[in-house]
Amino acid sequence: MKKFLLAALLLAATASQAAHHEMGHMHSHEGHVHDTMVDGQKLSVDAERFDNFVSAVPGDQIVVISVQGMVCDFCARGIEKTFGKDSSVTKIDVDLASGKVLLAYSPDTEIDRASIEKNILNNGLNTTAIQVVEK
Amino acid sequence: MKAIIFICSLLLASNSMSRPISYVGGHTLMANSGAQTDNIYWHYTPNINYSLGLDYQRDKISGEAFPSARLTYLINRKNTATSQRNLYLKTGIGLDNSTNHFYALAGDWETRRLFAGFSAKQVSGMGYELFEQSVKLGIAPYLGAYGDLHTWLMIESKKDNLDDRRITYPVLRFFKGGALIEVGYHKKTDWDVHLMYRF
Repeated sequence: MKKFLLAALLLAATASQAAHHEMGHMHSHEGHVHDTMVDGQKLSVDAERFDNFVSAVPGDQIVVISVQGMVCDFCARGIEKTFGKDSSVTKIDVDLASGKVLLAYSPDTEIDRASIEKNILNNGLNTTAIQVVEK
Repeated sequence: MKAIIFICSLLLASNSMSRPISYVGGHTLMANSGAQTDNIYWHYTPNINYSLGLDYQRDKISGEAFPSARLTYLINRKNTATSQRNLYLKTGIGLDNSTNHFYALAGDWETRRLFAGFSAKQVSGMGYELFEQSVKLGIAPYLGAYGDLHTWLMIESKKDNLDDRRITYPVLRFFKGGALIEVGYHKKTDWDVHLMYRF
């Protein structure tokens, strides 16, 4: 009986963790599902990281940049420096593991994709996608 | 004697240099302390394809100083989702004596876990000619997130035509934020400490 209870507890815990993981991918914030972009593409960022980023800048526009060559923290420092000079950028996050850069822009900013791409290139990196989160 | 000191200091300074081109508008300040010389090197990156710098080296034994100007040019870069590969051409010329100069071909390939780099360098000055080749391999024992303390365990091996003997020694590299420290040790060359700050 004890073994059965233990097994049931383990199963329940595993199922709970899996459900939590699933929630992480489909978590909604202020009524918007985070894995859909305005261009219809799927968002592939760490959900928890994304939620933390978004919750710190409510109302701002969020841009997710997919970057190639971003393998070194020391070499990615310039991203913060470069985008930090733009007064319309309110928050920056660099995720080395997924090769993504998250930017928050003040709500009235017109997102200039060419400028973003140039800033990434000025850091010696290449942009493969720029996604603007659906508001 | 002056030429030998100059040649040695050029070698020491540029061997330990990593990522010789920064982001556009970025400055990098480096300090190196080895058995023979100390040096301070600053470079600025006006364009993603090259950096310009000034180097000031002082010999510990004679007390003589050797200022030089440097240029690093990015010949080729290949970025992928998980790696970056670079090929550089490096040159330097003595500010007080233009016959002192060097040029080098250097390359590196890096992922978040692995590093491999090489350098082939020709140094000339006051009738002396020196050719040095080096390779460096590294592994990150853990994958830190952005902003964490990052650690690399490395091994460097080099050989030049004056000594004609290969030396291989361990190097530890740490960096956090814009600051990097690299420490190498070999019984022949003693400690070599390299500091870098990018801003």
